[in-house]
Amino acid sequence: MSMAVDQPLLLALLVFCLLPLVARALSGTPVPGLVAVPRDGLSRALDVALKTAGVVAIAALVLGLAGLHLTSQSVTRVGSGAHLVLLFDRSASMDNTFADRQPGQGEESKSAAAKRLITEFLARRPRDRIGVTAFSTSPMPVLPLTDHHDAVAAAVAAIDRPGLALTDVGRGLALAFSTFDRDGSGAARAVLLVSDGAAVIDLRVQAALRDAVKRSPVRIYWLFLRTAGSAGIYDKPREPGEDTPQAMPERHLNLFLGSLGVPYRAFEAGSPQAVADAIAEIDRQETAPLTYVERIPRRDLARPAYALATLATALLLIARLAERGLGAQPASRPRDAARAPAHIRRAA
Amino acid sequence: MRRPRPRTVLLATALALALAAVFAPRLATRGTAFRLIAVVDVTGSMNVRDYTRDGRPASRLDEVKAGLRALAARLPCGSELGLGIFTERRSFLLFEPVEVCADFAPLDGAIANLDWRMAWEGDSYIAAGLYSGIALARPLGADLLFFTDGQEAPPLPASGIPPFEEEAGVVRGLIVGVGGATPVPIPKFDRDGQEIGFYGMDDVPQENRHGLPPTGSEEREGFHPRNAPWGGEAASGEEHLSAVRTDHLEALAAKTGLAYAPLADAASLAAAIASSARPRPVPGTWDSAPLPAGLSLALLIAFFAAEVLHARRPHPHPTTRIRVS
Repeated sequence: MSMAVDQPLLLALLVFCLLPLVARALSGTPVPGLVAVPRDGLSRALDVALKTAGVVAIAALVLGLAGLHLTSQSVTRVGSGAHLVLLFDRSASMDNTFADRQPGQGEESKSAAAKRLITEFLARRPRDRIGVTAFSTSPMPVLPLTDHHDAVAAAVAAIDRPGLALTDVGRGLALAFSTFDRDGSGAARAVLLVSDGAAVIDLRVQAALRDAVKRSPVRIYWLFLRTAGSAGIYDKPREPGEDTPQAMPERHLNLFLGSLGVPYRAFEAGSPQAVADAIAEIDRQETAPLTYVERIPRRDLARPAYALATLATALLLIARLAERGLGAQPASRPRDAARAPAHIRRAA
Repeated sequence: MRRPRPRTVLLATALALALAAVFAPRLATRGTAFRLIAVVDVTGSMNVRDYTRDGRPASRLDEVKAGLRALAARLPCGSELGLGIFTERRSFLLFEPVEVCADFAPLDGAIANLDWRMAWEGDSYIAAGLYSGIALARPLGADLLFFTDGQEAPPLPASGIPPFEEEAGVVRGLIVGVGGATPVPIPKFDRDGQEIGFYGMDDVPQENRHGLPPTGSEEREGFHPRNAPWGGEAASGEEHLSAVRTDHLEALAAKTGLAYAPLADAASLAAAIASSARPRPVPGTWDSAPLPAGLSLALLIAFFAAEVLHARRPHPHPTTRIRVS
């Protein structure tokens, strides 16, 4: 818990705090001889109290003006969630509907469906740290791992913009894995690949991917948005010669991801409803304990400082109103006269 | 009743003002902010190292990233900044505008992550990229910051800048010219991303030979109206060298209703944005407390200072001034 001010230059005004130490709040009374006054402990205490009140009043006003506040801070808490990297396919085919048409009236493109459902998914997982990456012809880091979900929502909102030509899923995966490189938190890690197709992964990239998951294991989810009539993940080759990555990239990407030796699940979704089911399933799976950081916003202390200054000033004013000189004339009313000795003591 | 002493009046007023400061309202005000999309050219010519940062050569892309990060830190709170990249003939949106203060950390990280390797093609049709950037910004109600060195690759055809079909000036903003004025060689990379030298004159197209040939080409050596309308010799030129093409960018700015500004420090960029982008009101609050608090402080100081001044005044009679305490 640390304090700070917005306008440090104003703190120079604190020099006026010395003023109450040399100047008295009360008027005092000229007296010809010091010996006339006995030493009085209570009077000394009152003197110190009034000086303190003066110093406090000035200091509190200056600190309030300078914008005293408790700085915002982060508190580490433990909840359930994961560190999740979203890997979006931004190829042009994502802009078509599940029926592989240009979206018409009332129809939703695959990317728009993914955007809507993943936005809902993220809203249910407020504690996850999420990174966003995209790939098409080349891999693109979009957002580093972050707990700012507004920014993640902005990145997810961008996925239904027109995409690019190709689908280089291998390098996209490599980029997604590398997003965890600087994440030494030990939280559960998962990559959610959202794509509507697959491609051949270069052998060198395959080796690099195997390497990467050995070094830092991640769980992999593949949300495959299957277009009607296109090849699926679980298609069997009709003839032996057809069983190659070039002919059946979806099947072989599935086999490759399954062979990485890390927990892996593929969801083949042919409709927005199937996507919603798959996302609900991922939501259920990713509930490992997670230490997350909660931000406590800054707290302004200007108002409390002004309140303190008010209190101190009020004390000074009371003292001043109660002050009677040594030669105080008896008040006109007898009631006041009876209290006069007390006033003299207070005024000291 | 006795007239109150002047210092008591001072003190009472200071008290009243301090109390007023405690209960002073926070008034609603209108701040000015911007909604922007920064599109950064990540094509090959942006790898040219014609800037200096910390005494070392820095590429144009590094300079843009540093400038953009400083700008994000400088924009007034409530402003929003989205990010996109440009290569080939398209601007590609990475994320929609996010609030520059609340979401500064991911925004800053995302800008730092920009890399020439994100480019998906080597071509650089600046005009087409700019137009698609404007098309990206328009539905988002945002203004555009387009960072580029203005080097068209391949060069523009003889017909010049392609027509801008949307309404000019609907999306406002800045074209930011990046790069030095002296043409310098462009670094060349192999497929693994290793730098392997610089582009030579024969590595890049020096003239766009699509469309109609330019006027005056019949004067060229070996001209033939059917077989060699551009002349008989291979084009030569300086397209393999790169400098900021200010004239081209200013022409594009005039065509699209944007403004042109060279890449500079965050303060001048922010000033250029303030004069070209559409300001939008954001609700702000103005705390009225400092007013009574400041007055109260002044009166308190006066209250004590008056006593000091008073004490220094000589007394008419020789008295010993004592403190009754």
